[in-house]
Amino acid sequence: MSDAHTCPACRRALPAKSSPEVCPHCAMPLAHRQPDSQARSAAFGLAAVIMLVPAYALPVMSIENLGRAHQDTIFSGVWKLWHSGMWGVALIVFTASLLVPAFKLTTLAVLLAASRWPRRFASPSLERLYHIIHVIGRWSMLDIFLVAFLCGIVRFGGLATVVARPGALAFATVVILTILATNAYDPRALRDSSPASP
Amino acid sequence: MNISSSRTRGSIYVWLVPLLALAVSAWLIIREFQHHGPLIEIEFFNGAGIEAGKTPLLFKGVVVGQVREVALKPQLDGVIVQVELEDGAKSLAVEGSEFWLSRPEIGFSGVKGLDTLLSGARLIVRAGSGAPATRFKALPRSPAHEGTGPGRSYTLRTPGLGSLRPGTGVYFREVKVGFIEDNRLSPDSTEVLVDFRILEPYHLLVRADSRFWNSGGVSMKIGLLGANVHSDSLESLMSGGVSFATPDESATAAVAPEGTVFELNEHADKAWEKWAPKIPLPTTEAP
Repeated sequence: MSDAHTCPACRRALPAKSSPEVCPHCAMPLAHRQPDSQARSAAFGLAAVIMLVPAYALPVMSIENLGRAHQDTIFSGVWKLWHSGMWGVALIVFTASLLVPAFKLTTLAVLLAASRWPRRFASPSLERLYHIIHVIGRWSMLDIFLVAFLCGIVRFGGLATVVARPGALAFATVVILTILATNAYDPRALRDSSPASP
Repeated sequence: MNISSSRTRGSIYVWLVPLLALAVSAWLIIREFQHHGPLIEIEFFNGAGIEAGKTPLLFKGVVVGQVREVALKPQLDGVIVQVELEDGAKSLAVEGSEFWLSRPEIGFSGVKGLDTLLSGARLIVRAGSGAPATRFKALPRSPAHEGTGPGRSYTLRTPGLGSLRPGTGVYFREVKVGFIEDNRLSPDSTEVLVDFRILEPYHLLVRADSRFWNSGGVSMKIGLLGANVHSDSLESLMSGGVSFATPDESATAAVAPEGTVFELNEHADKAWEKWAPKIPLPTTEAP
């Protein structure tokens, strides 16, 4: 493990030996460890968990088809897709909207616990986990894109109209909050606390 | 390597985010449930076309509720439809409100419910003005007065129904002033009772001694001096109808009370057609 590092904003290398207060390239304030990273991560994560309730309980969109309107929550949407034989789409929506947020938030909880109570977790696998949730997080936006896409395209007046409902807003907030939570989390904290680290 | 886990003031403010999330989600959920108005139950004899979660309830052409559940009555003699009213439509859940199912109907007297051809069945409600209620019995079919203004109902007695179906016009001087609402056999089954409705302000023309006759069809007289074909308006020729006249001397008499029963004559008397009572009508349409 070297002390060489990069600026978190502009990604350019920082001088190895000195520890400047601000980045020489872009004047970003620097810290060895992001201050309060766990607290901020936990706060965003908690907010995301809270927003999950309306996101799953409220309808995401309503489809008006020839004058008949019916609305779907995420669960009922997956259920309907599955029952109409579109297993592939159902699986994708299920993964993107249920598995990914759940996996992300659980992993985040584990990571936060690991940096809080060091000695009980092995750090290398945790860092890998962190990178996984960092990468997959954005895929939860798939649902929101789907709704936004349908709302934009399906506007045939009386024939068919798709309208986004509050559940979509709540779910988008969940996704954004989980992304903020993973970004706030400083994985270097794992190394500090890991029993194996120097 | 020095590890500084500095706690700055920002770490306190960040906990406002979950608080805000709590407030927002509570607001979203409360708002969603506030939209929900009272539930009412409507009993239908036949529930064809009613679908839970899809069929809307309309009042004056505006959606005021939606069917939540469709269930059979325990004795299988009807269907109970549970409708969730919207919050603003609470005042429709009162005694006297009439509910019916709108289906496309095409007849001589007009086309009704054509929009339901594409959209499927719709429930329609006409507001009553009684005490709050939650259970209703639907009308067996859409009433003929659907979408018309206020008026008064009367009844005709006739030995045979002829072509007097619901929706058929009632004419005064060949002007359509009302329509047939319903028909049924008299209690002793010797006559047919035909309910009709005269729209305001034309109910002022109906007096206790007004005469009604069947003006449907064509009457022909062929004699030595030629043929004489007589028919009232073309509309009544096609779909049948009832005409009435009021004697001159009744112009000052009282307006017939609602529910008066009149005799339906087969033909008009020559004298009746000459009657021309002066009855002032308000210039404005229905109040």
